[in-house]
Amino acid sequence: MNTNNNVYTVIYTTAIVVVVAALLAFVSQSLKARQEANEKAETISQMLTSAQYGSKAEIDLLSNNQKLDKYAQEIDQAFLIDREGNVVDSLSIDREDLKVYGPKELKRENYNIKGGANATGDAHIPVFIFKNGRTVVPIYGAGLWGPIWGYISFEADKATIGGAYFDHESETAGLGSKIKDDPSFQAEFVGEKADFSSPNVFDIVKGGAPKDADGKSVTDNKIDAITGATMTSQGLDAAIDTWLAAYAKYFTANAPKKEHCGNCQHGHQHGGHGEHGEEGGHHHHHQHEEE
Amino acid sequence: MDAKLKETILNPIFKGNPITVLVLGICSSLAVTVTLKGALVMTLSVIVVCGISSLILSLLRNTIPGRVRIIVQLVVVAMMVILVDQILKSFEATYAIDKQLSVYIGLIITNCIVMGRIEAFALGNKPWPSFLDGVANGAGYGLILLVVAFFRELLGSGTLFGVDILGRFGYVPNNLVILPPFALILLGCIVWAQRAVQKDLQEK
Repeated sequence: MNTNNNVYTVIYTTAIVVVVAALLAFVSQSLKARQEANEKAETISQMLTSAQYGSKAEIDLLSNNQKLDKYAQEIDQAFLIDREGNVVDSLSIDREDLKVYGPKELKRENYNIKGGANATGDAHIPVFIFKNGRTVVPIYGAGLWGPIWGYISFEADKATIGGAYFDHESETAGLGSKIKDDPSFQAEFVGEKADFSSPNVFDIVKGGAPKDADGKSVTDNKIDAITGATMTSQGLDAAIDTWLAAYAKYFTANAPKKEHCGNCQHGHQHGGHGEHGEEGGHHHHHQHEEE
Repeated sequence: MDAKLKETILNPIFKGNPITVLVLGICSSLAVTVTLKGALVMTLSVIVVCGISSLILSLLRNTIPGRVRIIVQLVVVAMMVILVDQILKSFEATYAIDKQLSVYIGLIITNCIVMGRIEAFALGNKPWPSFLDGVANGAGYGLILLVVAFFRELLGSGTLFGVDILGRFGYVPNNLVILPPFALILLGCIVWAQRAVQKDLQEK
């Protein structure tokens, strides 16, 4: 048989590609349900991590079913809002039909937030309120090589970050992948305050976020970027800004009133931090708003 | 079992090890050897991909048009890699490991060992020896991976398969061991040891 014949070569390569494609499509379809169950449990694990129900490693000791149980037990409310902060729909928190927003759903809403050709309608973005008082919202955007996403939780004051967990599809191992793998990077978010009055809701800065005398990051909306992962850090910064800006009206409108004495003290403390220098402007703005 | 087949199986494990003698697959052996669990899953994945790809291509070897043989090899290897990845993603027990290994399962396709063995062996030999050659090369690769991962997990995290070993004796994990450069140093030591034993590998 002459295998170097042109016609034979074309037919052979076409046939092998069609056979392989058909096989892969079949396998992908038959495993889809199982993979989606795993992804859902993973999304729930990431949300529980950001709401500070334990470290990611601790929560991952639970089986898929236990994660779903834990989530169903701890979730208080879940709903969709529009950009104006109005609740447009509720999300099921029934154990048998939990509705969460994983990367696939976030990708769709990301198009809607940004508008343009891929948008399928108005942005309807999810809010998850847990029984420990923390509010979890997702973020989604582009890293260096592929999508990045994550979940950020806010304390009851709707401005202080309680925790964060990020994930990625294909960031560089050991550099960009630190957004997911480095708990100390995620820990930097804890206690920082998002600035919902500015389009730069949160900043991941190169060259050092403001530090206090002990070298700890001061309470503002800035943290250090990851060394060697400038593009991923910038992508994460843009993703957080884009998504949190879409939530700005909701958080501003739902922030607790400033009548409590505890909150007053909080405000004063911030004034003190503001004296640290370049952050003064931001904090001034904050205070103004609070008053 | 005849001597030739035995040689096909044993050679890649030690005397002609793909990592230490052929110096292939170095990149992934630095990346996935932080934990033994990761190294074990990677080892099994490479054995499956390498063995079955060799088998399929050996069966097809007389029909493949010479001019597009590399492309045909790529299609088959890519298919196997995607299948392995899909299967790992489908089970609760392996899902987390698949996430931890992230891109490296997909990158098995760029592992020179797989394509190298197909090109050098499977296209010129019968299916059964080709399958064994693929499996043996995957195993030789995996053996080194597991040795490196043993030291890196033990010294870098104080654990083995996630079970605390050295931590009980007050061992403070060494962060250098976690980083890829240490894996390269360790690999160098293994190559050194092997060359010291196997004199015929030494250049004059």
